[in-house]
Amino acid sequence: MAHVKAKILNKEQVAPSIFKLSLLCPEIASSAIPGQFVHVECGKGKSFILRRPFSVYRQASKETFEILFQVVGKGTESLAEAEVNSYLDIIGPLGNGFKLSNNCKKVLLVSGGIGIAPLTFLAEKLYSTEIIFDMLIGFANYKKVIDFSLQEKIADRIHYSTDDGSLGLKGTTVELLLDYLKQSKKPDTIFACGPEPMLKQVALIAKQNKVPCFISLEERMACGIGACLSCVCNTINGYKRVCADGPVFDASEIIWD
Amino acid sequence: MNLKPNLRVEIAGIKMKNPVMTASGTFGSGLEYSNFIDLSKLGAIVTKGVTLKKQTGNPGPRVYETPCGMLNSIGLQNKGVKNFIAEDLEFLKKFNVPVIVNVAGNTIEEYVAVVEQLSEKDVVKGIELNVSCPNVKSGGLSFGLNVKSAIKLTSAVRKTTKLPLIVKLSPNVGNIDEIAKGVEDAGADAVSLINTILGMAIDPQSFKPQLANIVGGLSGPAIKPVAVGMVWKISKAINIPIIGMGGIMNCYDALEFFLAGAKAVAVGTANFIDPEATIKLIEELEEFLTIKDISDISDIVGQVKV
Ligand SMILES: Cc1cc2nc3c(=O)[nH]c(=O)nc-3n(C[C@H](O)[C@H](O)[C@H](O)COP(=O)(O)OP(=O)(O)OC[C@H]3O[C@@H](n4cnc5c(N)ncnc54)[C@H](O)[C@@H]3O)c2cc1C
Ligand SMILES: Cc1cc2nc3c(=O)[nH]c(=O)nc-3n(C[C@H](O)[C@H](O)[C@H](O)COP(=O)(O)O)c2cc1C
Ligand code: FES
Repeated sequence: MAHVKAKILNKEQVAPSIFKLSLLCPEIASSAIPGQFVHVECGKGKSFILRRPFSVYRQASKETFEILFQVVGKGTESLAEAEVNSYLDIIGPLGNGFKLSNNCKKVLLVSGGIGIAPLTFLAEKLYSTEIIFDMLIGFANYKKVIDFSLQEKIADRIHYSTDDGSLGLKGTTVELLLDYLKQSKKPDTIFACGPEPMLKQVALIAKQNKVPCFISLEERMACGIGACLSCVCNTINGYKRVCADGPVFDASEIIWD
Repeated sequence: MNLKPNLRVEIAGIKMKNPVMTASGTFGSGLEYSNFIDLSKLGAIVTKGVTLKKQTGNPGPRVYETPCGMLNSIGLQNKGVKNFIAEDLEFLKKFNVPVIVNVAGNTIEEYVAVVEQLSEKDVVKGIELNVSCPNVKSGGLSFGLNVKSAIKLTSAVRKTTKLPLIVKLSPNVGNIDEIAKGVEDAGADAVSLINTILGMAIDPQSFKPQLANIVGGLSGPAIKPVAVGMVWKISKAINIPIIGMGGIMNCYDALEFFLAGAKAVAVGTANFIDPEATIKLIEELEEFLTIKDISDISDIVGQVKV
């Protein structure tokens, strides 16, 4: 875990309101595992103070990693304005990532919206293993969809859904998942990331199909390192910290509201 | 050539290398921060509030960011004093730093029971009585809102322990100076202020409060002027030392507290933004005093020119 100033090597707008930043940071690039995140100072000198968490999207090299983020409020707005060659104050890599058990042979990655970020990193790692994996990618509409040629290169098969049917199945990621389970061989593990209502459904479907399922959760964070107890989620073992005990949890552990 | 200024202070008999402490609840037991800083360099570590029995705390969301501050409603989640002693104190033993334990409870008996157990431990160099957590009644807030009950609690704990006793006051009252005077008379060795200020934020889209607990405690730079004002006011009402906190992000913020009358300061929310905030503050203070040719940090305590 490092606290560093990472140089912004490149900034790219990949879809309306979605940006990709490449950061020069050997400490994090060389040690991060899929599912881990970084805590980024987005607003020095602005009227807000807390850092913002973002998943590691890609390990581009031993020295650089990327984040993919959606502008939703003041922090991400400010981050979208950050200039190439300037430095970002970052803590990371943080949290526990996705764990692959030894008997994983065929896995399914299910992403909703910007949840694609940590799953892309996982996909890149899976690519160099024997494990077969398919991806389900859901987005609101075609305009919001980024260029998935990277994912298409590495995953065995990708299925898309959009709310308006502008790409792939018309509907949500959840419907895509139901469809997939009807048509394909059952995966032995599901990894998912996306909005909470989606994860809740995915967890339920996985349970009904008796497929182990691991999900990456989001909570508002203050410290990001486990000290403040802000970011808790409710589990069968009591409140757990998303930042330090997660963000990846076994879905069967989570108590949904 | 300037000599190195003296940063050492003694608060209520607790000898500290410098006047920079951690604010309760913002530093865990130090474990997480030990990945970033050498805990031994701190003036003192004040731990998260502990209660007699394990407490689960409030449901999430527990935090919401406001302009230059944050609202929290953690609700004193903690593992109870027994586990705290076995795990957190065991960890903190390794460091050469005074440990001050923040204590909370529902009843006087609970406070006394926790303090009794802690008093047997060598690592514990002081007790901070939390009579001011706005997020749960069991944070002792009911004791902190009223002069009589604050006095009753302080006296009871005073009889229980020889350890230095710090009482952490609530800013959510109109008569904080009366309460400060009351706990001084009841045997407190120091007071710390301020705890978070009660606040609320609402989502205009959903019409729902931003915190599941509806209201929470505001901390961070947004509360600094309130905190400095209270330190100044109370420094004139009492003779025991004051530990000042509330929005300290850097040396200049801390200096305001010293000038207003605080003998030591605690860093809270700033830890979340920069895990090295405490260490940077110590270095900045030393540098400031050197440049100003002030030989001892205590020389500026209460020196505001009004
Ligand atoms: C472990 C983790 C990994 C994440 N990875 C990514 C990522 O790779 N890409 C990405 O675009 N986003 C990611 N997020 C979400 C991202 O942190 C939030 O979108 C961001 O903090 C919002 O900041 P803001 O200042 O722009 O929004 P604010 O102005 O603070 O709030 C705007 C809206 O965003 C919501 N929001 C605030 N904080 C969070 C949060 N932590 N999670 C979800 N919603 C939030 C608010 O409730 C509000 O509705 C991740 C969150 C977590 C916890
Ligand atoms: C997340 C959080 C948890 C806190 N928990 C406690 C606590 O357990 N006991 C206590 O006395 N004060 C607690 N406080 C109050 C702080 O110790 C401090 O008084 C307050 O935050 C003001 O300082 P700051 O503005 O530097 O954060 C907490 C504050 C925060 C932000
Ligand atoms: S954000 Fe502080 S404990 Fe998770």
